[in-house]
Amino acid sequence: MVIYMAEQQQIDEVLASDYQAGFVTDIESDSLPPGLSEDTVRDISRIKGEPEFLLEWRLQAYRHWLTLETPEWAHVHYPEIDFQKISYYSAPKAKTDGPKSLDEVDPELLRTYEKLGVPLDERARLAGVAVDAVFDSVSVANTFQDKLAEDGIIFMPFSKAVHEHPELIKKYLGSVVSYKDNFYAALNSAVFSDGSFVYIPKGTRCPMELSTYFRINAANTGQFERTLIIADDDAYVSYLEGCTAPMRDENQLHAAVVELVAHDRAEIKYSTVQNWYPGDKNGVGGIFNFVTKRALCRGVSSKVSWTQVETGSAITWKYPSVILQGDNSVGEFYSVAVTNNMQQADTGTKMIHLGKNTSSTVIAKGISAGRSQNAYRGLIRIGPNAENARNYTECDSLLMGDQCGAHTFPYIEVKNPTAQVEHEASTSKISEDQLFYCKQRGLDTEDAVSMIVNGFCKQVMRQLPMEFAVEAQNLLGLSLEGSVG
Amino acid sequence: MKQLTDLVTPFATIAADKQLAGDDLAWLKKLRLQALDQFNRAGLPAKKQEDWKYTSLWALSQQDFIHQANPSDISAAQCDQVALLQDSYRVVIIDGVYSAEHSQLTGLQTGLTISPLSSGLDQVQSYIGQQVDIEKAGLNALNTLLMNEGVVITVDSDTQVLTPIEILVINTGSTNNLAIHLRNIIVLADHSQLTVIEHYIGLAESTSFTNVVSEVVLKENAELNHYKLQQESSNATHIATLAAKQAANSLWRSSNISLGAKLARNDVHTQLLGEQAHVVMDGLYLADSEQHVDFHTRIDHAVPNTSSEELFKGVLNDNSHAVFNGKVIVHKHAQKTDANQQNHNLLLSRGCEIDSKPEMEIYADDVKCAHGSTVGQINEDQLFFLRARGLDEASARNLLTHAFAVDVLDRIPAEQIRNAFSKVIEQHLPHGGS
Repeated sequence: MVIYMAEQQQIDEVLASDYQAGFVTDIESDSLPPGLSEDTVRDISRIKGEPEFLLEWRLQAYRHWLTLETPEWAHVHYPEIDFQKISYYSAPKAKTDGPKSLDEVDPELLRTYEKLGVPLDERARLAGVAVDAVFDSVSVANTFQDKLAEDGIIFMPFSKAVHEHPELIKKYLGSVVSYKDNFYAALNSAVFSDGSFVYIPKGTRCPMELSTYFRINAANTGQFERTLIIADDDAYVSYLEGCTAPMRDENQLHAAVVELVAHDRAEIKYSTVQNWYPGDKNGVGGIFNFVTKRALCRGVSSKVSWTQVETGSAITWKYPSVILQGDNSVGEFYSVAVTNNMQQADTGTKMIHLGKNTSSTVIAKGISAGRSQNAYRGLIRIGPNAENARNYTECDSLLMGDQCGAHTFPYIEVKNPTAQVEHEASTSKISEDQLFYCKQRGLDTEDAVSMIVNGFCKQVMRQLPMEFAVEAQNLLGLSLEGSVG
Repeated sequence: MKQLTDLVTPFATIAADKQLAGDDLAWLKKLRLQALDQFNRAGLPAKKQEDWKYTSLWALSQQDFIHQANPSDISAAQCDQVALLQDSYRVVIIDGVYSAEHSQLTGLQTGLTISPLSSGLDQVQSYIGQQVDIEKAGLNALNTLLMNEGVVITVDSDTQVLTPIEILVINTGSTNNLAIHLRNIIVLADHSQLTVIEHYIGLAESTSFTNVVSEVVLKENAELNHYKLQQESSNATHIATLAAKQAANSLWRSSNISLGAKLARNDVHTQLLGEQAHVVMDGLYLADSEQHVDFHTRIDHAVPNTSSEELFKGVLNDNSHAVFNGKVIVHKHAQKTDANQQNHNLLLSRGCEIDSKPEMEIYADDVKCAHGSTVGQINEDQLFFLRARGLDEASARNLLTHAFAVDVLDRIPAEQIRNAFSKVIEQHLPHGGS
């Protein structure tokens, strides 16, 4: 019992430790005043000098959004969001027309990235990572553009792509996530500020991992990212997205949309480490992360793989999905979702099988601690023409503490008799036996828990690219070490 | 004739004519008024409600129903023929009316009472409506409003009833568009034991609507083997709620076999309210042609040290559509819960559809909960094995389908009942050689 008390204290200390990525960079911002109307939408479009078709599309989305109601089916609770109190545009103050090299980038900004460990400058070259860093809403730096351009790869801020490749934007924007899709997708379509655009031409294998860091920086600014990745026939790309956000007291809304399109035999690997500010231990503050991510396996034998490590946000509402349209296409979803304190997560995936011989794998690991609620919600749909479709789903939950909850809401809809669908789920706490075994061999509780949790998540972690795996493990440790006594 | 969505009038008339069971009881009248109010507010469940996402009652709401049957009779031999068991106590309800003539209630063991709802209502005031929430589902309210027959069974403490009771509900089909609303109440006192079979059968292809609510109360250490066989006619709509409350150390074994009806919807729900309470909740649905069968189950683990085992299997043929939604809820402080839920489905032909949703909501940490769900078809290797041994393809397929289905019966302890069910299932499955 004495030992137990000591451990408990240790645990409490770790749990009480503050959010380590919480710091605010002091940079002047150009922001629109809070409020949302057709004028706001027009203003954003005007500031960004967008072509007519995009403004028209935004307005359609806005008008559709007005007809929608906030979705309430998710297993999360939060006060109503006042969409008129949010500022929908914020850009770091432009000194010139934009930096042409790293020397021109605001040193304050660079220091921020350094604190976060973004390999933006020399380290970027060494690490071989091209970063399209989104600082609040405008992309300020791009690396390796030239090198990628040699291969015909387009990797640039969304707003730049709108000017340089309007034909691609026109063709693909909204083709996977229509503005009619859901409340937050409609909102994003109306007011999205910037994001990344990637196009991998036919037969090209992207020579490096593309990566972007999103941060929310200016106070009260919702972040509405729009990412569009297209892999043409036989192309391959691996894309990393990581987020950390500075500490803030008011809830911030993050409603991003990510669209992926994979053509014949193309493969897209999309990895996310999400560490938005989760709020303090009483649930004050924190990010509302309401994201729509969807991939379309349009071509035959195409493949899309989502990997996510979700440790942050006060509320996560996110279902990276794959529409398996092309014959023989493959969809994968690997997820670790960690919730602590008052965090709420309702996350999972949708695998929509339409083509023949399509297959999908879902591995979801949920870890809940403190007073958090962690739900897996997934849909496996096998359409009537999806001959020989195959799905395997495994979702496991680990509970730490008797105040938290772990929930599973899987939907399985099968309309084709040749389908094979398997779903299994389990829920348990960290086994006393395993802990005892580790401790008996000289590990302290913290290390033992960390080791067991890492083992629990290994199936997912090993899907992450190297650079991310390290960061993800650090995050896991930070959020969880010692949550069990 | 009145549509279900327009039931205010018939209730008023029926109530005025004193045709409803127990109409002279003030408490019941009050309950019925509450239900009327609720039904007027909520109406029939619609597809936009999560619990009715895959099942539409639109067709039902468009039908006209008669709430009073024409007199009809069947012979004793006919009755014996359709009954599942021969040497059991038997309560027979024909077209919604209790038949004393066909019921076999002689020589009841001491401590056991069986009476039709129409004459047993005064005993059950403290139990009626306690297990089901009329606020939630429109159909429970409708049942409360119009329940007119059913069976009330009580077992005194320390009484082990070894003879099974068959509740045989026969729809003769002599009244087209007949709607019947039954309420069964089963109460087992401490240390008692009972086996009950609810058996619903349609004799002709008439359109009908059966809306039944069964409420089960298990006191400490009580054990109830509770089986249900549904063989309604192919134009019938069968909607059933089966709800139990279990005290400490009680055991409820429920097996629910759904074969008939055009649309069948079953809600099975238990609340484990005492430590060491255990539930076995099994089910089997075989559907073909245009049948639609929907099972919604819910197990509430409300206190520590309770356990549940759930196994539902389905075989779908032709253009049938099945829905399984299983919910296991482990409430706060319900530590040491052990819950296992399985749903397996076999799809035999193009055109059928299965929607399976095994859910878990867990608010306690020291628990062991698992669930699994599969959808698949007959294993080619197994088929090859049988064919290599000389079986023709159809026979081999039938053998494998039968083996898949009867698996659900394994947890029925009484051999006599297990065999009776197995036989019914075998007859129902498609036969080989064709």
